[in-house]
Amino acid sequence: MTLLDIKNLNLSMRSFEGETQILHGIDLQVERGEIWGMVGETGSGKSLTGLSVSRLIPPATGRYLAGSIAFEGRDVLKASEKEMRTLRGRKIGMIFQDPTTNLNPVFRIGTQLVDVALHAGHADPTVLGLEPGASSRDLKKAAKRVSVEMLDKVGIPKAAERIHDYPHQFSGGMKQRVLIAMAMIGKPDLLIADEPTTALDVSVQAQILKLIHDLVAERNIGVLMITHNLGVVAQICSHVAVMYRGRILESGSVMDVLKRPSHVYTQALLNSIPTAHTKRGELRGLGGVMPEVQ
Amino acid sequence: MLQINNVSKIFLGQRKGLFGHTEGFKALDDVSLRVAKGKSFGLVGESGSGKTTLTRCILRLETLTSGNILYEGADIGKLTPTEMRRLRARLQIVFQDPYASLDPRMTIHDIIAEPLVIHRDIVPMTARQRTERVLELLLQVGLREEHLFRYPHEFSGGQRQRIGIARALAAKPEFLILDEPTSALDVSVQADVLNLLHRLQEELGLTYFFISHDLGVIRYICDEVAVIYRGKLVESGPVEDIFERPTNEYTRMLLDAMPDPDPDRSPFRQAASA
Repeated sequence: MTLLDIKNLNLSMRSFEGETQILHGIDLQVERGEIWGMVGETGSGKSLTGLSVSRLIPPATGRYLAGSIAFEGRDVLKASEKEMRTLRGRKIGMIFQDPTTNLNPVFRIGTQLVDVALHAGHADPTVLGLEPGASSRDLKKAAKRVSVEMLDKVGIPKAAERIHDYPHQFSGGMKQRVLIAMAMIGKPDLLIADEPTTALDVSVQAQILKLIHDLVAERNIGVLMITHNLGVVAQICSHVAVMYRGRILESGSVMDVLKRPSHVYTQALLNSIPTAHTKRGELRGLGGVMPEVQ
Repeated sequence: MLQINNVSKIFLGQRKGLFGHTEGFKALDDVSLRVAKGKSFGLVGESGSGKTTLTRCILRLETLTSGNILYEGADIGKLTPTEMRRLRARLQIVFQDPYASLDPRMTIHDIIAEPLVIHRDIVPMTARQRTERVLELLLQVGLREEHLFRYPHEFSGGQRQRIGIARALAAKPEFLILDEPTSALDVSVQADVLNLLHRLQEELGLTYFFISHDLGVIRYICDEVAVIYRGKLVESGPVEDIFERPTNEYTRMLLDAMPDPDPDRSPFRQAASA
């Protein structure tokens, strides 16, 4: 069964100025072991596609006009909120862009990790290595142990000690690792990473990419990676979808799309990245036009 | 044009006792570099390496612990406040965040005209002349006349950065400090802004001091480059030399970590096929 199957997704969002259709028929299939890159400019709808998968779009403003999102055969859009809570943080892990705003500054790193671990553990104790029906005391103990293990796994030195630190005592790269640890604690089958390295230095970015790459190799999960950096896509993604104004213009394996782009827009996007051989004045920008309110 | 000699900057540590301080943080450690007139000088480094501290020192927003900075032979640290204000008209800065660096309550006209008002003793203008100058600048950076009385929130990131550039150019400076001017922008918009900067340099004969952590951008726009790591200059020289033949371990690591848009050059794929 396809891990994630998005079919003809149409989303519109309401604002004071009226309703705008944001996504125009998105089709995307993610299998296990694949890393899908979603690239596009600001406002192209890539983040909203990612948020739709875990149904995090506020129902007050977002409205799905048509389409379905099937996660392991279940339609996410029709699932109850209770069902969604068993998916989020458990079957579907999410990493967000900004590591500084996604950790609560007044709680210790450990508290926040254990919280996530307990949430996943209550739904399915096997995640924490326990028998079904384990006591809450065992759950708490296991949650703590797993939190330290995960922190260690994402490469935080002295994890058992650092777990008592507050977020401000961690650097940006370390905070991003904590978020990855959080996303991985529930042993998800699908990881949605929304610009996981945009706020980081290149050297730290390389480490985070390696971490994600190794996780996929080890656990055979599917990844939907949202980014505007084609370099990142070329490095770790197996497949890529190019988005523009709420549509997927082109999708396929990275080798095909980036080496022999069939769409003019993909070509233009590639031409706007300065490379070693670009002479000054040769870069071609695209202007960056956002969708209009209808 | 700009000469930085053995500059060090130590931020004092916590107060300890009545007169003591705990050990301070060495933000800049014996940095020396020269920026030639009409050229683009790039400064590369990771966050926390001291890039921004160095620019703040050039603008005399920080006092130096040791060393000196000469601008056309004059020591910036020894200038009187009046002289410093004069100098600031010739030495302008474009900030990183186009969303935070424009006052949301000012019109584009007022934003761009502000340096002309502040430096009215150097560039004396009537209100009408100022408006004309603002209009000229708007067109120069690729915006239109109808944008004149709009507010910053009506513009996209790329357009805002153009407004920031127009403001920096208002008092006709000769030296422009660009502190990560494109890091908040999409690549497609970044390309436009880089081309704009390149065109303006040719038209106006500007000197750029370009700060970035994006090596691709530095390579594209700069003639010379210096790599800074933990407050120390590890390597500097012409762009070609540094990028083709890096001698320093850290520079090589930075270059390797730069994601290449060619899938064949991915370290993961190379490892998988090997």
